[in-house]
Amino acid sequence: MAYFRVNDKCNGCLSCVQNCPATALSYEDREKQRSLRHNLALCARCGQCWRVCPQEAIEFQYFLQGPWEEVATLDLVRCNVCGEPLYTADFKQTVADRGRAEIEPFCPRHRQEIDQLGKAHYYPGRSKDERY
Amino acid sequence: MIVGDNKPLEEIAASLSGYRKVMILGCGSCVTVCLSGGDREARQLALELTRGHLFHGSPPIFETGTILRQCERDLVAIHQDLPAATEAILSLACGCGVQTLGDVFEPLPVIPALNTTFYGAANEAGVWREMCQGCGDCVLSHTGGICPVARCAKSLFNGPCGGSQNGSCEIYADVPCAWALIYYRLKKQNKLHLLHTVRQPRDWRPAGGAGPRIRRRTGVGGGAGKIKM
Repeated sequence: MAYFRVNDKCNGCLSCVQNCPATALSYEDREKQRSLRHNLALCARCGQCWRVCPQEAIEFQYFLQGPWEEVATLDLVRCNVCGEPLYTADFKQTVADRGRAEIEPFCPRHRQEIDQLGKAHYYPGRSKDERY
Repeated sequence: MIVGDNKPLEEIAASLSGYRKVMILGCGSCVTVCLSGGDREARQLALELTRGHLFHGSPPIFETGTILRQCERDLVAIHQDLPAATEAILSLACGCGVQTLGDVFEPLPVIPALNTTFYGAANEAGVWREMCQGCGDCVLSHTGGICPVARCAKSLFNGPCGGSQNGSCEIYADVPCAWALIYYRLKKQNKLHLLHTVRQPRDWRPAGGAGPRIRRRTGVGGGAGKIKM
């Protein structure tokens, strides 16, 4: 889905191209057709094209509420108990590579419960508060 | 946004005297939007400086480019290359960008092509009006959203002055009196009582009276763009 959209009122006058301060609009004439081109990386999103267009052909609203685009997909590590998403497998590997201890995948709630069980096992007889 | 005005061509040419190769660098943010320092203006400036009889002898060779923001040191240092044998940079950015380029490319001279003028807003196509002076202690909540520091010619906190005439400033008839605007805005908001509040004298240190201001946020950086200052 394009962020910069032009509706069918466009008559190819090139007012937008001539007035774009970021030179983010250009055109190409090929055989019997003229194409309007937009470069999102150059665009300052200033709205000058939308302001000057005599045909009201620039649909600038799509720049203001554009869709999300997926830019990376990574494997996820979830809590061993409840399955809550924690971090990515690559992040886990990065931490391991930096010399820290292997992370056991538990969410904060289940990590705390496991810690409590462990302390109850190793320090029997203490009250719950004393264990921490 | 930050608004800039182009310096006269003669002044720019005088600043470039003696250089054989100059990089004209636009900035892709504020000054692009206010039509004074973007890619289009960089190319246009190169043409005008080359065509005009502004130099004694041959004009320098000009190359042009634009970077998204000149005011971010790591962005400039990592992503902006200069052509070989560049002897000076002509920056179309605001003063922040000019100085950042100067730090990154030291000892290369960086020459401003704009006069940085004000923080403004565009309320009609092609016209930017000063709205803010970055005074560091915003009073808009009790002035109806209209800034007396930037929009009153005297920056009065207890206006209007005697020069206010039928809603206009005495400076020019087409300049609205900020305090008249404030009064009528507060009246529409049923908040005229705010004008009766006695306030402490203004501390101007946040406005820069205590030296250059710095804003720090911790926990930022550490990635590819991190550059020690």
